[in-house]
Amino acid sequence: MADEELTDPKLYLEETCKPKCVKPFWEYQACIKRIKGDESGQKHCTGQYFDYWKCVDECVALKVFEKLK
Amino acid sequence: MHRNMRNSFRWQEKPRMCYQPSDDLFYWKIHTKTPSFFSTLKQDAAAGSSSMMSLRALALIGASISGILSFGTITSADEAEHGLPAPNYPWPHKGILSSYDHASIRRGHQVYQQVCASCHSMSLVSYRDLVGVAYTEEETKAMAAEIEVVDGPNDEGEMFTRPGKLSDRFPQPYPNEQAARFVNGGAYPPDLSLITKARHNGQNYVFALLTGYRDPPAGVAIRDGLHYNPYFPGGAIAMPQMLIDGAVEYEDGTPATESQMGKDVVTFLSWAAEPEMEERKLMGFKWIFVLSLALLQAAYYRRLKWSVFKSRKLVVDAVN
Repeated sequence: MADEELTDPKLYLEETCKPKCVKPFWEYQACIKRIKGDESGQKHCTGQYFDYWKCVDECVALKVFEKLK
Repeated sequence: MHRNMRNSFRWQEKPRMCYQPSDDLFYWKIHTKTPSFFSTLKQDAAAGSSSMMSLRALALIGASISGILSFGTITSADEAEHGLPAPNYPWPHKGILSSYDHASIRRGHQVYQQVCASCHSMSLVSYRDLVGVAYTEEETKAMAAEIEVVDGPNDEGEMFTRPGKLSDRFPQPYPNEQAARFVNGGAYPPDLSLITKARHNGQNYVFALLTGYRDPPAGVAIRDGLHYNPYFPGGAIAMPQMLIDGAVEYEDGTPATESQMGKDVVTFLSWAAEPEMEERKLMGFKWIFVLSLALLQAAYYRRLKWSVFKSRKLVVDAVN
């Protein structure tokens, strides 16, 4: 089967779930802006990143297995 | 009065005719209060001994402050340290009477063999375990025969190599842990025989990990040789992303996307860790049902026997 047009359903669903998780997404973007000029290397946005991806994960988990064999 | 009798011995005691509570050490222990830390504080305050009290109070305050501070530092490092918790995926074999998807186990074994086996051993699984689960006996024999196995001394006392049999375990990619670490930059690719039981929320964790390679968050830098994965405790994992669309060509023609391969390989690993699952669920359902009936019978029988006692009547015959 030389079907080269493989689109991963999980990636596709993550894109579609982004609009549902707008609030944590903007929190993450705000954090990026806040730490932009930081040179110390101690500041990071792991918390906001986790909150955003937790929201996306929960949205994706409900639907991804339906798309898989 | 009891205390006096305990601490001093009097020759002139009246002869005692019966048991006195003070004879009993057990009684004595119950009826004497041992002061707690806080009451010693109060005692000192009442007695006016200021130095002892301030030392105790200071110790109490110091202990509570250091406790609060250490708790504060722990929570701030928690997230990346524990990894992003994996979501709960609706595995087809999750229900109380659900079996494995055996076609998925078969595909998952193919993924393991072609993608994972170059680094990860599964030394507790034998080829014969696959018979009747994912492959027929002939297929499994053919698969086993493709590997070379070192076998015990022959009649001349020499070790020899032979093609694999059903009774052989899955081959190991490295002879020992040190070799595995040396080839993989110091990191040991763990044995996968029990991995879904050996990690918290194993099935969901492994699927999330394999399909969760992403760019790190802003401000997080991963050194060369490691890769960012939010689900891995600490975030920096030595394994690169292995499941890439089209990495494997499935025999049954299923499109081999990253999440398809992830689902199949996790189903295979779940089976490898818990091959008894289907029998266990059947047995569990049957015996919980049987024991519930037995419980009802036992409850009825108990109440039947006790009905005599519970329905008795007591008559108080008092003269006032």
